[in-house]
Amino acid sequence: MVKLTIDGQRVEVDSGTTILDAAHKIGIGIPALCYRAGCDPSTSCMVCVVNVSGKLLPSCATLVQEDMVVESETAEVHEARQAALELLLSDHIGDCIAPCHRSCPADMNIPLMIRQISSGKIRDAIVPVKNDIALPAVLGRICPAPCEKACRRGSYDEGVAICLLKRFAADVDLVSETPYIPECKPDTGKTVAIIGAGPAGLSAAYYLAQYGYKCVIFDEHEKPGGMLRYGVPEDKLPHKVLDMEIEIIRELGAEMVMNKKIDEEALENLRKEYDAVLISTGGNKEGIASLFKVSRSTLQTEEKDVFIAGNAVGRNSKMAVRSVSDGKLAAKSIAQYLSGSMVTGAEKPFTTNIGKLNEGEIHSFMKGVSDSPRYKPTEIADAQRHGGKQSSLFSPPLRASYFDIFPDKQTGFSPQEAVAESNRCLHCDCRKADNCKLRDYSNIYDASSRKYKGDGKTFDQYFHPADTQDSSVEPYVIYEPGKCIKCGLCVQITTKAREPLGLTFVGRGFDVKIGVPFNRRIDEGLRKVAEECVEACPTGALAFK
Amino acid sequence: MEALENLLEEKKIQDHEADISEELDLSYVDKIVQETGTGSELTIPILQAIQEHYRYLPQSALERVCELTEITPTQIIGVSTFYSQFRHHPMGKHLISLCDGTACHVKGAITMYDAIRDHLEMEGDDDTDSDGTFTIQKVACLGCCTLAPVMQIDGVTYGHLTTDIIPDVLRDFLELQKKKSKEQGARKSGVETDMGEIRITLDSCCVANGCGKVHNALAQALMDTDAPAKLKRVACVNMCYQTPMVEIVDTGGKSNLYARVQPEDARDLILKHFKPKNLFKRAKTAISRSIDSILTDEVWKPVSRYSVGIRDPQVAEFLGTQKHIATENWGDINPTKIEEYLEHEGFEALKKCLLEMSPEDVIQGVQDSGLRGRGGAGFPTGLKWSMVSKVKGDVKYIICNGDEGDPGAFMDRMLLESYPYRVIEGIIIAAYAVGANRGYIYVRSEYPAAVQRVKEALKQCKEKGFLGDNILDSGFGLDLKIMQGAGAFVCGEETALLASIEGQRGMPRLRPPYPAQSGLWGKPTLVNNVETYSLVPWIIRNGSEEFSEIGTQESKGTKVFALAGKVNRGGLIEVPMGVSIREIVEEIGGGIADGRKFKAVQIGGPSGGCIPASLAHTPVDYQALKEVGAIMGSGGMVVLDDSDCMVEIARYFLEFTQDQSCGKCTFCRVGTRRMLESLTRLCNGEGKKGDIEELEQLAHMVQKGSLCGLGKTAPNPVLSTLKYFREEYGAHIEGRCPAGNCKALIKYYITDDCIGCTKCAQGCPADAIHMKPYEKHEIDDEKCTRCDACRQVCPSDAVKIE
Repeated sequence: MVKLTIDGQRVEVDSGTTILDAAHKIGIGIPALCYRAGCDPSTSCMVCVVNVSGKLLPSCATLVQEDMVVESETAEVHEARQAALELLLSDHIGDCIAPCHRSCPADMNIPLMIRQISSGKIRDAIVPVKNDIALPAVLGRICPAPCEKACRRGSYDEGVAICLLKRFAADVDLVSETPYIPECKPDTGKTVAIIGAGPAGLSAAYYLAQYGYKCVIFDEHEKPGGMLRYGVPEDKLPHKVLDMEIEIIRELGAEMVMNKKIDEEALENLRKEYDAVLISTGGNKEGIASLFKVSRSTLQTEEKDVFIAGNAVGRNSKMAVRSVSDGKLAAKSIAQYLSGSMVTGAEKPFTTNIGKLNEGEIHSFMKGVSDSPRYKPTEIADAQRHGGKQSSLFSPPLRASYFDIFPDKQTGFSPQEAVAESNRCLHCDCRKADNCKLRDYSNIYDASSRKYKGDGKTFDQYFHPADTQDSSVEPYVIYEPGKCIKCGLCVQITTKAREPLGLTFVGRGFDVKIGVPFNRRIDEGLRKVAEECVEACPTGALAFK
Repeated sequence: MEALENLLEEKKIQDHEADISEELDLSYVDKIVQETGTGSELTIPILQAIQEHYRYLPQSALERVCELTEITPTQIIGVSTFYSQFRHHPMGKHLISLCDGTACHVKGAITMYDAIRDHLEMEGDDDTDSDGTFTIQKVACLGCCTLAPVMQIDGVTYGHLTTDIIPDVLRDFLELQKKKSKEQGARKSGVETDMGEIRITLDSCCVANGCGKVHNALAQALMDTDAPAKLKRVACVNMCYQTPMVEIVDTGGKSNLYARVQPEDARDLILKHFKPKNLFKRAKTAISRSIDSILTDEVWKPVSRYSVGIRDPQVAEFLGTQKHIATENWGDINPTKIEEYLEHEGFEALKKCLLEMSPEDVIQGVQDSGLRGRGGAGFPTGLKWSMVSKVKGDVKYIICNGDEGDPGAFMDRMLLESYPYRVIEGIIIAAYAVGANRGYIYVRSEYPAAVQRVKEALKQCKEKGFLGDNILDSGFGLDLKIMQGAGAFVCGEETALLASIEGQRGMPRLRPPYPAQSGLWGKPTLVNNVETYSLVPWIIRNGSEEFSEIGTQESKGTKVFALAGKVNRGGLIEVPMGVSIREIVEEIGGGIADGRKFKAVQIGGPSGGCIPASLAHTPVDYQALKEVGAIMGSGGMVVLDDSDCMVEIARYFLEFTQDQSCGKCTFCRVGTRRMLESLTRLCNGEGKKGDIEELEQLAHMVQKGSLCGLGKTAPNPVLSTLKYFREEYGAHIEGRCPAGNCKALIKYYITDDCIGCTKCAQGCPADAIHMKPYEKHEIDDEKCTRCDACRQVCPSDAVKIE
């Protein structure tokens, strides 16, 4: 047995133990990308460095010694870990989240919705949508869609018709027998008054209800919807659609008090009566919102119980999606305030992005993707739209009245069109964005992906079969060399498993790559242990398609 | 679309290659495997044999190897793509290896590279000309620094290149090839008499300088004239700047030394010192060579022009301050003849050890001598030996690290070529001391002559009983083999070296465990450098005390340096520790060439640093060199003058280490690349405010965070130049290169000294100079590529740089 000190804690371990394992034993987490129990230490990523007697050593391979003094949380160690991560990031090409997602003011996971549609799980597509957007059928008709301008597909032909797909997912949900109702937490017993039933107020109510707060919305108009009802022409946004989405918010428990104008005095009364008040009265300069100073990052005012969302914060945006997004953020801040936690504002998780593509790179993205031009909704006879076997795409089947409910039915996608359009998506977001050690540690160590400028890599991806769009094919491995950090875990795993071909390092130094011997396909190198390799890969370099 | 087309093109090439390989006769692969064996540790030798036969590594051949041996596809691809020696695509009939070692680099290697490519009309990423005659590659160091800039075409070395002679060199080579095929088998052996002796050095650098041709000419002349003398190859005389050098010991025993001898002088030299045996021969000679008139004074003239006496003050100085231990008997003995080594106290030390001393005594002796490792880090040798000897184990290995890869260092090559027996003797003594019975001499493949001489020496040693199961009837046995590297600088790092011998990619691993505990195949292993071993026999013979009297408190004995760069006399030197840099540069090196100003000395190669002229009083001492930001290193010493840009020098070294990084750890793999990019931006005039600070910070990170010595020391050239020449970095950000070196920041112009000879216009590859006979010429800056050709050819020194 060997006794040593790690961050001031004494620990006793068997000789032959690594510092990393010894630290884990006493609950000190040391970050490591290339470490894997059962594999030899790769000493590659160097994120696991610790300070031992003034030297930085990789803890994954350094064996403990009697009376060793290890420091794992000093400024120097953190700086080195950050630098290692930043160097890896400077040689890492990939979008953690897709450009569409990143440019969505509501931070909606667009690629996930598209994949649900593409794989025929059309009812499931609503979940990621409503996770971030309370009024998707509404926005699906009026949103100027900044996402589509950012879409990578645009550098090949035209961006994917995201907005119409969202509308499709939302419309399908609305007309279904059981529209999607998110799960709500138990009632907290606390209440929130929302002043203004426009997009921000409605959105806040939708999320507050899910957090377990009772909401009452006050509005001076006869009907809820604010500018959506009174500012948008009905031929663009049929009131029917708006009413149906508001109805869902009501079903969640939000109460609406109409024809009620809230002045300064009434506001003070509401503050006494409710645990928090949200002002979402739109962009009126003389309104009650002008009485407060608001933090744009949390939407909380200097009066801690008063929040402001939407154009009432002092802007005049024509994009309803921003107000919808504000409502969601306000709900989160209010929930934090009411539960006694710190009000933090929107989280900005670490992401890398490729930026503008180099010439020719788009062709690598297009591998295995439909190259049809962007679909436009066509006027096909109703019977054709939902007749025959196509309707089997829906489960439960659509009500026959699908196309009659909406007066603007001719401007939306048919199911066939929606699926075909969704197949145009490049899936340029990372398949392991939520399961990437590089991203996680970059978050923790506040690494910047732009710290070191250098000659970038070129994006590429390999998979087999490369030309199928048939989603029934078993999941198969996709390899993106641009995301590989050369840790060699996959090489070790395939070698140990005696893969007939396996994976190997090809080349040396900065240009070293992981490849299958003799230029064979990636699936030929991973006959036995594809799953283990994908699981072990610390980034999105190896993933299942 | 372009990318798609490229892909299609690539596919076509692959298909084409696949077609070729289908036609390949793979029976040779079977033969190689039969001869070499099937173990996975044999990957490198097998690949080398395949490449030697097919001139590249056809995929079908590699697949065949995997069928026949224990070598897996993963291993064969991993290894064959790791080492620079291996090629996966067919290459031209002849391979041009252009040296981009430090000495060549500061003398314009890149300009030569561009000029050769231009001349052969290679475009883009091509490395082979269109008719498949020549393939060109840059190599780390050919170890002929004093001939810089230098290149090798197949086995033939050409030195002192200038852009204007490139076409002649290539033509010369092709003609030589034609002649060779005609002459084969026509040659008889030279005249054997013991009346007199003609000595000529035949190390690869001397051969490059023309010694080979002179040797052949002498042999031919001896045959023609039947003169009573025998021709003998001797070890390096270390005066590279004077080669080809011929020493003639006449029948009276008097020695005459001739420098820079040309092949056409051979006959005259022989006729001057030896009388042909019979008049018939003389007459025949006279008839066959009409230009000769037998034994008249007229013929002496061209000869005496090259004659220098050993007493010549410059040469005496060059030799005088040196001390020869590793290079004992320089110029005296034939390197390949074991008999001659034996005549010069060869293997006396080994006999003493085996027959009179216990292993402990030997270790104690080495410890007392104060000897430290000459490979770079300077670890006390005796201590290392005692560590290995104390580890228990049935099998221990001994390794001689001859993977000398520093660009600008060629000491180990010279020692292996000139004194193979001394190195081997040192190894056997060490093996006895630590109890190792198996071992390898690892020599880089760029040194074919060294490989061949070591092989020959090993054979002779076995025959004479110095190697084998029972050496000198002492009961001690050693099985010593040679292993050729395959082009990877990182294999100089001992753990990478071990991986390489095991047939793996040369990837270093974390130490500890040190090889002493767990080395080759996990067994206790002693690894020392060539020079370290070569000092051992002297220490044993002369005693530890005598050795430790030489040098300084911390650094004992002598150190061999490869002195190159901008000095008047370059060459290999062995100096006692403690002499100052200035003594070396000014007294031994004869000061700076071409009347320029001494700026700095680069010591230790890519792991070392630049010592400015103002610190030239620094002694050669491990500690003192470290204190000023350099390292002893393996012994490269490149002298820089005021025309050398320190930012560019730092960039050059980073380019080298970056290229040689194994790619394992983040700091070295990515960090050195980012540093290089930053330096390249500086040299291109694209540097921005803050870049220097960021570069410095990153350099410290790479130094602290890298896994092995290569990465940890890679930032040294940057940090040391930042320390002493920071203002030069600043100037680059302002768009100036004070040394007038960085192409993007300089301009060529012609002064009024122009005599209108038109040479510059004729030589300009970019048509940037309009030909105007008898008028002052002008350079079109838009078209000028800064290739320097005009400046080199100008007879009146009228081309200047600003």
